[in-house]
Amino acid sequence: MDTVPDKPTVSPGDIETGEHWQRLSPISILYFTASNIKKLAQFLIYVVPAVAVTANVLDLRDSPYAIPIGLALLFTLSASGVVSYFFYHFRVRDQHVEVKDGVFSRRHMNLPFWRIQNVKIEQPIYYRPMQFALVVLDTAGSAKEEAKIVAVPFAYAQALRKRILAYHAGEKVESAAQDDDNNAIAEDEEVLNRRSVRDLIIHGITNNRVWIILGAAAPFYDTVSDYAFSWLNARGLNLEQLVGEQSAAWWQVGLYTLTFLMLIMALLALLSVGGALLTFYGYTLSRQGDRYIRRSGLLNKQEVSMRESRIQVITAKQDWLDNILGRVNLYFEQNTSGSQQQQAELMSPNKLLVPSVTLQETQALVKEAMPGCRLYDTHYKPVTLRFLWHWLGVWIWPPALILIAINSYNQVWDLVVVIGLLAVLLSLIMVLRWWRWGYSADDDYVYVRSGRIGLDYQCFEKYKVQQVKVSQSLLMKRRKVASLNVLLASGNITIPYLPEDEAWTLANELLYVAEKSRRSWM
Amino acid sequence: MTDAQTETPAFTNAPVTTDALPDARQLETNPLSPKYRTLNLAIVTVVFSVLCIVATIVRFQQFVPVADGLEKAYPFVMVVLVFLGTTSFLYHLFADPLIRFAVREQDLILQKGLIFRAVVCQPILRVQHIELKRGPLDRMAGMAKLQVYSAGGSAHTFEIPGLPVERARQLRQFILDHKDLDAR
Repeated sequence: MDTVPDKPTVSPGDIETGEHWQRLSPISILYFTASNIKKLAQFLIYVVPAVAVTANVLDLRDSPYAIPIGLALLFTLSASGVVSYFFYHFRVRDQHVEVKDGVFSRRHMNLPFWRIQNVKIEQPIYYRPMQFALVVLDTAGSAKEEAKIVAVPFAYAQALRKRILAYHAGEKVESAAQDDDNNAIAEDEEVLNRRSVRDLIIHGITNNRVWIILGAAAPFYDTVSDYAFSWLNARGLNLEQLVGEQSAAWWQVGLYTLTFLMLIMALLALLSVGGALLTFYGYTLSRQGDRYIRRSGLLNKQEVSMRESRIQVITAKQDWLDNILGRVNLYFEQNTSGSQQQQAELMSPNKLLVPSVTLQETQALVKEAMPGCRLYDTHYKPVTLRFLWHWLGVWIWPPALILIAINSYNQVWDLVVVIGLLAVLLSLIMVLRWWRWGYSADDDYVYVRSGRIGLDYQCFEKYKVQQVKVSQSLLMKRRKVASLNVLLASGNITIPYLPEDEAWTLANELLYVAEKSRRSWM
Repeated sequence: MTDAQTETPAFTNAPVTTDALPDARQLETNPLSPKYRTLNLAIVTVVFSVLCIVATIVRFQQFVPVADGLEKAYPFVMVVLVFLGTTSFLYHLFADPLIRFAVREQDLILQKGLIFRAVVCQPILRVQHIELKRGPLDRMAGMAKLQVYSAGGSAHTFEIPGLPVERARQLRQFILDHKDLDAR
């Protein structure tokens, strides 16, 4: 860390704010207000039932205080934005970002550049006319440790990002040359991939992105369903009557249900496409020096950067619909230990997603990130048949046979048929699972293929392993098979039921490469 | 410390065949503190005895009338408690001595499991931080638990339980002194 001189050689004034604490641009009041409202709304979801009950009991609606209270609430919310604004200060100096915020519980955060793992630039829609941006600085630690610089000019945000990321890249380079280099690279930032609206529509159909919209609409479900019922009633279609009294023939009900389901599916698909467009509109993945930059978003524009060396695993996921359409969701996964929110997966820089790319594009992107990686053209060795026997012979058929026997004894034949069919279905899925599961390794990489109806490929560099685990039950030991668990910073990868010797050879080699190379995993 | 890997300052690039790689299977492993099993067996015995006694007291006490359902459930509760107690007692009896660990120059190895055997290998250069944990019972028995965290998430923490305190401290110092620990 000491190799970088205190004074940057090129344009020192560009990001350093100096000794004095800076206040944000007043536009940040908008952001603070919005986020306070959001917090309140999230809180209210839990409180609504209680409030509703009290409102009924106390007849609040007729009370003369209702309107003033509502107004006061609204006013407080807007005022809270202003207060937050006045309590927020930041400064950037000596390769440190410092943030002081919080109204009641004050927080002073000091982030050295070298501890910053990701820099995310967001542009909510209300920032865009004035070209402001929100900078989110991620550390490798917990989510609580993330710092936000709430409103700075967009150009400044980009300069800051470039400087922070260059800090890592330039550690070994002479500082003067380094800055020149970075400026040069910045200009020829190379776009690796773009997603057209058509691609995103495909992505919306093949992947369920409904929750992006549904999540926001959750409070209104009841109202909507009430409305839908009354609408149907008004058109002479009484669902309760239809189902309850069996006045219609069974095929009529079936047809209605089917139509209804189709309608819902179509609606969901539409919503999902909307969700995909909302998040990924204008998607570009570009490369600048040793880092990837992802930009996307319709209303809320985001820019996420990630250093190439941070990639732990490349995952290419295809579910059955993707398979038919020949599309792949490609993930560049990095360290996940800090992030807890699953829902943020799409936005999070921890998993850089390239949505619905074609196979050729996938190949090109994979080669770009991991040169010499043969994700699709390597020979995958299957896991042993023991895997299948284990699942069929221990988990599926014995319980199924017992249940079938019991029900046959009781002469409940329809249940017997259902259980039998279910067991056959599960067996087929397990056959597929066994058939898909394969592994392969070359000098630098390990490849794992898995999936049931879909197809997932994973590839990681050998030296990035964090921990290796070989496990086998006594039965597996007798059959000389073992399962291998490889722990990476992005999570766990399992290769089940491979021949014992191969498991150990691979395990020993992974350990050897990691320990011998002594290279950092970050 | 049976590992044959030695660090040479000069650059060498001799071909390595897979047979020549150090094998994590062929190792001298060390047992845990013998008190570890004793302590576990004692805990199991005490916990389940107390549960049985409480159930019995509730069943036969004369102060408050016992609900009819509870009275009927009593034999089942006892059977379940005794069964669970016996199985976990037997499990610790046989499985605890099978937990063994080894330390090589570059990694830590832990073997465990009675029916499902597992061998976990943790390279030292991937260690993020180390914790030495001692609960009140551990302190009474003069034992400590060594937890080694890597970047793979806390669910996969490498943990050696039931070490004699002195041994645990040595191990921790060995890991801390390892030259690759800060090679990030």
